[in-house]
Parts: sequence; structure tokens; C-alpha cells
Amino acid sequence: MDKLNIVGKSSFRVDGIDKISGRSIYPQDIKLKEMFHAVTLRSTVPHATFTLNTEKASKMSGVVKIFTAHDVTGKNEHGVLFKDHQVFMDRKINRIGDPLALVVAETLKEAKVAMKEIEVLYNELPGVFCPLEAMNEDAPKIHGDSNIIANMKLEKGTVDFSKCDVVVENTFKVPMVEHAFLQPESAVSYIEDDKLVVISSTQYPHWDRFELSLALGLKEENIKVLNAAVGGAFGGREDITSQIHVALATKTLKKPVKITYGREESFLAHSKRHPMTIRMKIGALKDGKITAMKNEILADSGAYASWAPSVLRKAMTHSTGPYEIENVKVNAKSVYTNNPFTGAMRGFGATQVAVGYEQIIDQLAEELGISTYEIREKNILRIGSKTGTSQTMYNSVPVDRCLEAVKKEMEIIKKKPVNKDMLTGYGIALSIYGTGYGNGFPDVSSNIAKINSDGKIEIFSGFTEVGQGAKTVMAQIASEVFNTSSSNIIINCEDTDKVPDSGTAAASRQTYNTGNAVKKSCEKLKDIILNLAQKELGLNNNIGLEVKDELVYLRTLPSMEITFKDLFSKYKDELSSKGKFVAQTTQMDDLSQGAPYWPYGFNALGVKVEIDPATGRINVVDGVFAQDVGRAINPRLVEGQMDGGFVMGLGYALYEDINLVDGEIKNRKFSSYIIPTAKDMPTLKKIIIEDPEETGPFGAKGIGESVTIPAAPAILNAIYDASKVRFTKLPVTPIEFMKKFGNKYD
Amino acid sequence: MMKKLNFVVNNRKYSIEVDPRKTLLDVLREDLKLTGTKKGCGSGECGACTVVIDGQNVNSCMVFALDMEGKEVITIEGLAPKSGEIHPIQQAFVDHGAIQCGFCSPGMIMSTSAILEKHEKPTEEQIREGISGNLCRCTGYVKIVDAIQSLAENK
Repeated sequence: MDKLNIVGKSSFRVDGIDKISGRSIYPQDIKLKEMFHAVTLRSTVPHATFTLNTEKASKMSGVVKIFTAHDVTGKNEHGVLFKDHQVFMDRKINRIGDPLALVVAETLKEAKVAMKEIEVLYNELPGVFCPLEAMNEDAPKIHGDSNIIANMKLEKGTVDFSKCDVVVENTFKVPMVEHAFLQPESAVSYIEDDKLVVISSTQYPHWDRFELSLALGLKEENIKVLNAAVGGAFGGREDITSQIHVALATKTLKKPVKITYGREESFLAHSKRHPMTIRMKIGALKDGKITAMKNEILADSGAYASWAPSVLRKAMTHSTGPYEIENVKVNAKSVYTNNPFTGAMRGFGATQVAVGYEQIIDQLAEELGISTYEIREKNILRIGSKTGTSQTMYNSVPVDRCLEAVKKEMEIIKKKPVNKDMLTGYGIALSIYGTGYGNGFPDVSSNIAKINSDGKIEIFSGFTEVGQGAKTVMAQIASEVFNTSSSNIIINCEDTDKVPDSGTAAASRQTYNTGNAVKKSCEKLKDIILNLAQKELGLNNNIGLEVKDELVYLRTLPSMEITFKDLFSKYKDELSSKGKFVAQTTQMDDLSQGAPYWPYGFNALGVKVEIDPATGRINVVDGVFAQDVGRAINPRLVEGQMDGGFVMGLGYALYEDINLVDGEIKNRKFSSYIIPTAKDMPTLKKIIIEDPEETGPFGAKGIGESVTIPAAPAILNAIYDASKVRFTKLPVTPIEFMKKFGNKYD
Repeated sequence: MMKKLNFVVNNRKYSIEVDPRKTLLDVLREDLKLTGTKKGCGSGECGACTVVIDGQNVNSCMVFALDMEGKEVITIEGLAPKSGEIHPIQQAFVDHGAIQCGFCSPGMIMSTSAILEKHEKPTEEQIREGISGNLCRCTGYVKIVDAIQSLAENK
């Protein structure tokens, strides 16, 4: 590959100055003239039929209109895979937090006061809150006549544990957790030139437009979605929350309307991470080679499917970890209950199963009497290996390099002094993450590259900047092609009227998919520019023509040059190029064999924990994280993802758990739902492993999901090392730790 | 009933009528249109609304606006010495990649301002303690701590 000038440099974020100066606009910052405010009435029981009486409330001071299911102008439904959500419930409530009505008033206070006067008469139905019970024939049904949303199997070879020398099994339970992005949901809508405009913070503006069109009964071309600044997402902004409500109110009332959730409503409104029960059995030969694995996964999807089949597919196909295992059998089920609904969250099923496979492989090593490194070295995927779905790993499989880097650094960490009052332990974990929607779904990203009248390069693509740095990465890719500073690239990604669909900012697919589309369109535009320059400069061909800082010059005679601006003045309409990228995956067969995702990203993590034996308080005090990135477009952004992904996994391991009582979230505040603070984050050495992916833009892979996966299992392995107690249920709070360890201490 | 409030925000004197039940945060965002200060929880648990009041970092959602009578408030919009300029703290956050989604950034930067006012050269522990009331879900706090340390070193 040619020398890279911009890719690989830690360019400053293109949205940095706006964000540090308070100028970035999130929807809650928007105030329009004559704008109404709306609040959502939500169910307070998990399973019921109901009647509403809005008569008194609708006569309250300032109330403009109270919307219910009767007022939905299109289809009263939405949902990413199945349309099982309703805009407003019309018959049956399926969870606490289901939307019943929207009160629109002149002021927020008036809307809130009026909402209290709506009478809701519930006729409660028996609920089901345990996914195992939900599969019983006589269990209350949430939607239709079965609560089973998906029941998948994977089979490779023949699993026969009698042929193994050592067999280990265990059951792991991972909790429901919350995205806890700092910006609560908010949306503003208004009418502009007969077009309905919706401003929100979303992971996928084009999808929102589609859902809006169905629910409102409007054509997509009559709706414009503007993506404001997005204050974190992590999967929690994929399902519709307030967007249809606010748009319906504007469509009906012909006035601007705003909805902003408070923190507690945010907990109620969006999806959660699937809690799962994961039963694993693994067998190896004496020499440490793993030959068989059998896994059973049961996931609670709560009241709505959201991404359940896709999350389950990812969990199932990733449950063998970054290991080559000849014989595999997996069964995975996802069911409806009356719990809060679960959907996409960083890692998307791959995070949950790693808690299992990375602990059970440590158990296996202990049984075999070999080190936790040796068992991994013997079984990891390498070039030519086949995954559990029999997909061939043909390039960029640096699991060995990740593991080696962590091993080396952990030797240094182990030599550091230990606190004698504490139990000290060390643990490692590896992980695998397959990019994209997967399973043959046409995973498309598009981009249009243009030269504008100032001679600047403009990028038009509907990707989303959720904080990960996508705008900066796309600018760097374009600037690399055009040999100019990334600050010279103008990024357009927020307005569905101006930019083509580039899929969701999820599944670590933006850098890879949209990055490829941006690169392709820019390369095509560069070719167009060179050909036009040849014509203008009167050259025989375009050999030796080069672009730099928005001009074209002849390398053998640099005084022969023409600026992009001059080209624009003559060839305006020709200076535009489209790029499209579709990821190459295949639909798996009935036994889940196939090539469901591409590319795969890997990592290795080592941590040191200290546990206070008297209180059970666990601190992660040191760590080393080696992350495969293909190629780092922007190393500082990569490190930012590694830090952030790690700490989210740390919260998963030690603190976070949605506390449910009969479907009700009891901890809907940051004082009761604990996420890590600055005092919980250890020193973390980050090592970026580059092994360019042939199909990636400049060799890059996405890493946003991958980075959170190894944290929890590495911490749990370290807790075991320190205490000799194997924790299979997350989170390991001090109370949970002392329940199991307390006797030993006494 | 509205009540009179006289206070200074970002070196500008205000004499306004406010609803006595309104928090400082709501008055800043709604009445003064200073939306750089963010509302992440409204109950003093996330720190996104941090402003500096007479040198102290305070969750502006936890104080009534009327209690600001005669006080001096600095928000993210008023941190830089001149409008349109960047304060060294803000520059350090950009330089160290201490920003991701940006929603916690204004509050985090205001807490940093208070830390640096309190401590001549804050230690890493003092920095972590000083921002422990500011939640961030994106960065793992690492690059934020790096940015603040760089300021401490350059002091």
C-alpha cells in the first residue's frame, strides 16, 4: 500500500470545538416559536387491558389535544424487525412503560399537570416475567399464541463428549442492563414547506423516516429527519421512542411540538441489553485441543422483539469464541415476557456469550493443568481456521498477536507490588466480533462525493455521529484520497433530504461499510477530476497528474496546475460521484452453517483486581488491552473506544443490573443504577494491533462493539484467581461476592 | 408569582423576573438561552449541568435560581476569556481526545475549572475525585484525566 498521509494520524475531531464550547445542538436545546410541549402517559402495570378517560384532562388549562390510539393517522405500529410495538396502546398493555397517550399543551407544566388527570382503568392480566416460564404452554401470551420469538440451532460436526479426555460444564447468568447514555431522548418537529420535519437524536435517520411514514400515513418524501447531536447511543437509539409521537402531534396540530424525556422516563422508554442464561459444555483432548462444545442460550426479549432474532443469531454464532472447534452444537431461544423490552446494546449478543466462553475455557485449562495462555494458544482462530459456522478466516486474524501482546504486558503487571491487605488476582479474556447486520442481509452504505463552488470536497452520507468519531473518520478517509487536510472536508450526514441512506450506526459497521462507500466515491471523483484537468491543461493523458490541497498539478512540471474551484466553474455538474458498498455475507443454512458476518475483529485483555476480603469490594487496578483494528484510521479515536468499551464492560461485571420486580424497573436513577465513575477506571495500557483487512477502507475494521466484550470475563477470571470462587452470575457486587466468599473469610 | 433575581452570569449582570420554583439550570437554559449547560438527570446525579458558582462546581439542577441573588455564575459559554475564543481547558480536552458524544463535556469542563481553582497542581487522585460527580458513558474518563493532568503540569 502507498504511504498514508492522513489515515493513521490522530486528527482532531471535526465536532470537537462545538462540543467543548457548548454549541453542539441536541434536540432538547431547541426552542421554536409557538412551540407546544408534550408528555407521554405510560402504563404503570405490566399486563392488562385498559380504558382511558381523557375528558377532564383535555379541559385543563393550556391543553391543546390529548392523543391516543384513535388519533394515529397511519398504522398504529412500529418495530425494527417485527411491527409489534404500538404508537399508542389500543387494547392490551404488555409492559410497564407502554405509551397510552400524549398530552400536548402550551407549556410543559400544563402538559404535566393535565396528564395526572387522565383516568386509566386497568383490568390486570396475569403476567409472565421468567423466560423459562414464558415457554410453558399455559403461560400468559404476550403477542399471538406463542411467546417464543426465535428458536435457532447451530450444528457443526458431531458433538460426542465421550471422545474427550476432559469435559467441563457451567451455567452463566448475565443481567438486563441499561445503555445509560447521558443525553435523554428528545425530539422536536415542525412543518416546513409542506414537509414534516423531525429533529431527534437517532442511530439511523433513514430508518426513522420509514417508520414515521408508516405510522403517520405519509410518503417518505414528505418527511425530513434531521439528526441533531447524539449524546451517546450504544444501541439504545435504534428503536423508535418519541419520534412518531412528536411528529403525529405536529402533523395534526400544524404547530411545532417538543418532547424531552427525563432520566426515569428514558429508563422506561428504550430497550435494554438481553439478559441471558447460557449453559455451556466444553471438551478437550489431553493435549489441550478443544474438540467439542455444546451451548444452550435462553434470552429474555421482554415485551417486544426489537432485534431479538438478530441478537440471538450473533450470540449463537459467537458462542464458540475466537476458537476453532471441530464439533459444535448450539440451541438459542428468545422469548417474550412482560419485562421491559430488550434489543441492541454494544456487542449485540456477542458480549453476553463471552462471559461464558472465556470463563469455561479457564476452567478447562485448570482441569487440564495447563496455563490460561496455553489453552488459548492451542485453540485460537488463525489464517485458514474455520469458525463454528464453518466460515473460513482468510485474512486479518491477529488473535495470536493480541494474546501475545497481553501475555507480555501481564508479566510486567504481575511483577508490580501487591497490596497485602487485599486478595489479588489476574485474569485474561479474548473476544471475537463479526461486523454488520449479517446473514446475507443487504448491508448497504452509500455516499456522494462532490466538489462545491469553493473548490472544497463535500461528503454526503446518512451515517450517524453518536460520539464514536464517525465524522472525523469519514473526513480522514476522504482527505487521504484527495491528499488534503481532513479539516478541508465538509461532512453532511444529518439531513435525510440531502444524504443517501448509509444504514444504522451499529454493529461496528460505519467505519467498514460507510468508510468503504466514502473511499469508493472519492476515488471515482478523483478520477473525474484528473480527466477534466487533463482536458483543461491540454495534456495527452492523465499520467503524472496528482491532487493536493484542492488543486491538480503535473508532477513533472508542477507549474501546470488547476484548482478544484476553477474546474467547478466550468464542470459543475460533472464533479459528483456516487459510491456504494455492500458487505459480503451469506445467509446460513438450517444448521447455521455459512459466512454470516465479515470482517471479524478480535481483542485480548488482561486485568489485575484487588478484592477487600472484609467487604467484598472489588477494584480493577491495572490492565492491558490489545485491540485488532485492521488499520487504525485515527489511533486516538481507537483508544477512546477501547477506554469507553472497557469501562462499560467493567460496569457489566461489577455494578450494573436492572432491578425488576414484576416487570417494574426499581432503579431508574443514577443513584440506584450505578455506572462507573472516574474513580473506578484503572490504568489501562492500550495496544493497537494492525493487520490490514483486505476488504476494509485502507484496511480498517470497526471496533465499537468489540471493545466492550472482553472486560467482564477478564475481570471474572481475575476474581477467580484472587478468591478461587467462580462467579457465574453478573454483576459481582460486594454482597454477591461475600455471599460466596464470606465463609472462607470467617 | 414571579420574583426578581439579580445575579451575574458569565460576567454579565442580569436583573430578571423568575419563577421561584425554577432551578438555576432551567433558568439558564430556558430564560437566558444558555443551552450549553446540559440536563442529564435533573436530580444531581450525573453532573451534566455543572456550573461554577463563586469558584465552586455545583449541579445547577440542585439549586433554586433565586438563591443566586448577588452571586456570580460561570457556564461553559463564559469560560473562555473572550467570546469566540477557546479556554485552555477546552483546548486540552480537544487535544487529548477527551470528548466523544459531548453531552457530559460542558459539565466535565466546568468541574475541571473548579479543580484547577482549588488545587495549584492537582494529583491524579484529586482529579478523579474532582470529576467523580460527572458521569461519562463514552470515554472511560481516561482521556479526560489526561487532559486535566496536562493542564496541571503546565501550570
